[in-house]
Amino acid sequence: MTHDADRACTALRLATLRGGVLDARATEHLAGCRRCAHEHEGLHALGGRLRMLAPEPPTSLMRRTLDTAAPALAINAGHVAWRPLVRAIGAALLPLPAIVITSAYALRALYGLLATVLPETLSLYLVLNYAGLLALCAALTYGAVPLLAARQARLTHEVAHG
Amino acid sequence: MATDEDLMRAVAAGNGDALERLCHRYERPLYQFLVRHIGDSDAEDLHQETWLRVVRHAPRFDPNRRFSTWLFQIAVNLCRDWHRRPPPMPIDPEIADRAERDTSEAASATIDLERLLRALPEPQRAVVLLRLYHDFSEEDAAEILNCARGTVKSRLHYALERLARTVKTEDTHSQ
Repeated sequence: MTHDADRACTALRLATLRGGVLDARATEHLAGCRRCAHEHEGLHALGGRLRMLAPEPPTSLMRRTLDTAAPALAINAGHVAWRPLVRAIGAALLPLPAIVITSAYALRALYGLLATVLPETLSLYLVLNYAGLLALCAALTYGAVPLLAARQARLTHEVAHG
Repeated sequence: MATDEDLMRAVAAGNGDALERLCHRYERPLYQFLVRHIGDSDAEDLHQETWLRVVRHAPRFDPNRRFSTWLFQIAVNLCRDWHRRPPPMPIDPEIADRAERDTSEAASATIDLERLLRALPEPQRAVVLLRLYHDFSEEDAAEILNCARGTVKSRLHYALERLARTVKTEDTHSQ
């Protein structure tokens, strides 16, 4: 038996098991293939029986499935809420090394400038005071980033889910 | 109407309504596939496990893929794992006897068909179920079963030949 004939037999068997009217090609093959003609009736009956094997899911299955999936769904929701937060903190932290280095250079330059006109101890005191003020401002700014990102995420979630 | 892929995006964001809608669309075909594949004893458990995996892996779902093939791929993998499990503990013979007595004629016909399907090797059975009952194309079946299209063709060929042989044998015995 050739490869093409084998394929035609398979196509006919599948069509027979599925039921319904055979197309012209399948009908032609059925007329010309003794093996298919011999098994056709049996396969047709088997197809009918197989189609009747269609169990209905129990009515409570969907509810149980949704209950089972609820914790995983909550984890997904949690991940979504955390993602913008992490992104915002990451974006805020990215320029931090550059800010620190630039500030350090600026403070050193300021100390050098002040030391030329004021006593060294007073210059150091003023520069350290200024550095403390800068650190406080930076801490307040970076502390506000997660709070603002969380607020933004909450608003986005409310808009998306009503 | 939202597509399956849109609903999957919502499931990835933790939306319960989207999951319910997806479940509603695929509950019956998935359940029937599982019952035909492994029998009804563990089909409900596997059904729940399939959806649990859908939710867990939703954030990594590629929306360019078709959801139905992805869903059935998960189900097929779970069925494969199920077949690899050791057989269950032997049940109480008295309970088995009672169950046997309760078996009606219709139920025995169903058991007969299930036996027929179970007689097929697991890879062939999966191809038959996907192509015959769920109308998946050869390409989709190949994607679900993670094999080449030619493999799907040959498995289907051997499975149908086997079914045809069984039918012939049954006819011969009944005559």
